[in-house]
Amino acid sequence: MNGARWLAQALVAEGVDTLFGYPGGAIMPFYDALHDTPQLRHVLPRHEQGAAFAANGYARASGRVGVCVATSGPGASNLVTGIADAMLDSVPMVVITGQVPTHLMGTDAFQELDVFGMTMPMVKHSFIARCVEDLPAMVGEAFRLARSGRPGPVLIDLPKDVQVADAAHLPPHVSSGTDVPEAPKDASLHEALALIAQAQRPVLYGGGGIVLGDAVQAFRTFVDATQIPAVLTLKGLGALPTQHPLNLGMLGMHGSRAANLAVQEADLLVVVGARFDDRATGKLAEFAPHARVVHMDIDACEIDKLRHADAGVRGDIVTTLTKLTLPCAAHLHGRHGAARKAWRAQCKQRAQQFAPRYDAPGSGVYAPALLKRLSELAPDATVACDVGQHQMWVAQHWRLDHPRKHLTSGGLGAMGFGLPAALGAQEANPDARVVCVSGDGSIMMNIQELATLKRYRSPVKIVLLDNQALGMVRQWQELFFDRRYSEIDLSDNPDFAAVAAAFGITALHVDRADGVDAALQALLDAEGPALLHVAIDTAANVWPLVPPNRNNAQMLDPAVDDAFVAPTRTATETPHALPA
Amino acid sequence: MRYQLDLTLRRAEGALARVLGTTERRGFQPVSVDGETQDDGDRWHLRMTVEGSREPESLRHQLAGLYDCLAVDVREA
Repeated sequence: MNGARWLAQALVAEGVDTLFGYPGGAIMPFYDALHDTPQLRHVLPRHEQGAAFAANGYARASGRVGVCVATSGPGASNLVTGIADAMLDSVPMVVITGQVPTHLMGTDAFQELDVFGMTMPMVKHSFIARCVEDLPAMVGEAFRLARSGRPGPVLIDLPKDVQVADAAHLPPHVSSGTDVPEAPKDASLHEALALIAQAQRPVLYGGGGIVLGDAVQAFRTFVDATQIPAVLTLKGLGALPTQHPLNLGMLGMHGSRAANLAVQEADLLVVVGARFDDRATGKLAEFAPHARVVHMDIDACEIDKLRHADAGVRGDIVTTLTKLTLPCAAHLHGRHGAARKAWRAQCKQRAQQFAPRYDAPGSGVYAPALLKRLSELAPDATVACDVGQHQMWVAQHWRLDHPRKHLTSGGLGAMGFGLPAALGAQEANPDARVVCVSGDGSIMMNIQELATLKRYRSPVKIVLLDNQALGMVRQWQELFFDRRYSEIDLSDNPDFAAVAAAFGITALHVDRADGVDAALQALLDAEGPALLHVAIDTAANVWPLVPPNRNNAQMLDPAVDDAFVAPTRTATETPHALPA
Repeated sequence: MRYQLDLTLRRAEGALARVLGTTERRGFQPVSVDGETQDDGDRWHLRMTVEGSREPESLRHQLAGLYDCLAVDVREA
């Protein structure tokens, strides 16, 4: 029994069933130990970034700790974006990196890189095992920390000599489990209740902390009992079903008009597991200007960080919501019952008035309509997005009934996330229907993972929205940089259907609106992995949009703003032409 | 504003770097740093003076959230 084999057994004891990793020199003893650990399924993506994002997607979809493995040096540095993504979105991960032997550390040895130092700002914690006796405590703490409280990534750097050292004297690993979340203080609950009781125009502002705290049901019960309208962050989507009558949609830069106006007019914001992210608040100083704030969060760091909380409730969100549900519901028909009823009616009326329309003119494919339709055809699907316009269209138009079915790189906004995250989600739930929505920019960042889908016969269905441009950057250059298009042209994209076919993946294509239904059905009916290439208009934009340094009431949306003048392109502007 | 920080840390690899890095990343500039291991050798006692215009309570929460930070006190210098 050496250190590597002890570690493999410890992973089993921690309940790990799947690893995403890529072998190399400094991690070879661990890979050798995998031969003797059949309980661990190892998935080999074609790039370490793919491994990190796949572990990330596995964790997001399942709620379990995702584990990825790489060698030292470039293997470790290639993991970094996936680790950072996990940190910013509070995803539980344990990252294991090989390291050069301890006697060579600090000597600029071959493939030596200080991954411990370089990842310090983007991990919840990290360890270097300097001797084999370090392993039991480190492994237990790594898993406990990754999944306790506000989850996050934990790194274990594992020198090669520690992996081969004799570990026969180490006790078998016993999991440290997960910390019981701290309960909120009664005094803070009383403060919150007093504010909620006084409110006439309350709004719930729900975020990713709802699903991270396993509080989806508690949140829904609270909404139904109190009848308080709710807005959701990108990571909170699904905490209420899209069609719930009190769900006003996503708030923020690409949020719904109903959600943003409700927040701007509210006299109380009840913040549940959200963090006043700048994409949600717009101009912070003018965000919810009339509202007092009740802020519920497991992480004390978030309360009062960006917006003063009139009542900060730190602790377990399930307990918080459960303890407040009945007392808050008692005020439904109380002193401000009539005012609240009128407020609800106004919020619902706006949600209807500003509901998205899908009757786009022309014969081309309208991406929002396609995404809405796909979510209706596959209501059970988990959708993993890449980053860009298509990500926002999914957030706006996908019918969603649970946050774990919406995997999106929210905090980091990392292009390349979608395809490996979908792979990880499929590994976590082999029988689930997993859809990856990507763009022509994003998919090229990890397109090698098509080979991984093929190898493992992972039946992920990919919808590739191809506008032959870096669409979100193009949109901003159009709106805010006087249409001075700079390096957004992707009109020399490869033939994506041919690329998919080359990887042995079923490929489909659609470029007309009247072909969408049949194409989507063919995609969903395809055996194994399949890719639907969708040609869309290069000039399509995401609306509404809150411009930078504006408040959330100042949305641009040509569909509802008569004064809006859509930028027009002149014949002399050829933003999508390639250099001769 | 200038603040005095008093910290007790695990004497673990990276603990000092984490405290200094977190302090700077969260918008506070160290003015002075002084510290020593405590008698049992398992802990650091660290005193820092920092400057910053952000809320010191926010920094206290960030430092208290570090795994290696066992105690932190922040007060106006």
